[in-house]
Amino acid sequence: MYGGLDIAVSGMVAQRVRLNTIAANIANSSATRDADGNVNPYRRKFTVFMPGDPNAKNEMGRELGVHVKDILEDQAPPRKVWDPDHPDAQPEGSADAGYVYYPNFNSTMEQINALEAQRAYEANVASADAMKSLVAQALRLIS
Amino acid sequence: MFIDGLTNADSTPTLRAAIGFAAGRQKLIAHNIANLSTPNFRPADVSVNEFRSQLRDAIDARRKQWGSHRGELKLSKTRQVEQKADGSLLLSPQESGRGVLFHDRNDRDLERTMQDLAENVAFFRVASDLLKTRNDMLNAAIRERV
Repeated sequence: MYGGLDIAVSGMVAQRVRLNTIAANIANSSATRDADGNVNPYRRKFTVFMPGDPNAKNEMGRELGVHVKDILEDQAPPRKVWDPDHPDAQPEGSADAGYVYYPNFNSTMEQINALEAQRAYEANVASADAMKSLVAQALRLIS
Repeated sequence: MFIDGLTNADSTPTLRAAIGFAAGRQKLIAHNIANLSTPNFRPADVSVNEFRSQLRDAIDARRKQWGSHRGELKLSKTRQVEQKADGSLLLSPQESGRGVLFHDRNDRDLERTMQDLAENVAFFRVASDLLKTRNDMLNAAIRERV
């Protein structure tokens, strides 16, 4: 029966990773450069979930549950803002001269996603709680 | 064997089957909850009503064969529940397909799933409380003899 706790925990872990990527998206919502300092706007990241949990402790937990299969980057084009005085503005002669490329970030979408991830996390906590009460109840049989 | 008479008496095998079913179903519900945001995932569950009628048939058959107070409980095989040789239950969940399909092709239904979760815990609790009462009675009887 302990495998059941693995399932709920795998759901909590996956939703936490999803919330982390949302936090990273919000934190980098105005980042016009990449980690190396080159002018290259941050791309919105998103998680892809898949049933089954390869990290579970026992076989049943590996079969059931969920895990993050991938964290991908949104390939949508960057948001363009007219700001020729900005140091990261596109140089003269390029297609978008005078425009600054900002991340393809949509605040509303991230908020909704965060809300959904939080609710799903809470549902998994409730599921873990239920599993704990089942285990406690079963242990009472031998007292 | 003499010990069989103790473990198979009265409602014990019925309660054991009910506990096994609830414990197995709990994992399925937890799996459905864990995959609330998984694209293309269709929640799968076993039907409580089907299990109930399966259990009722098994109890009737046991009564006919042994009388009501003893004997093994044999569940007939259905498409969802199969009793293995050691008495444990093998659950084969079916996809429900009853909810609205979301844009990620997942037909999650959080409210119904949470209701199923609460009902299943209550079901498990009732069955295990009744089994505990039986065990306590057995303990009391043993203690009086020794």
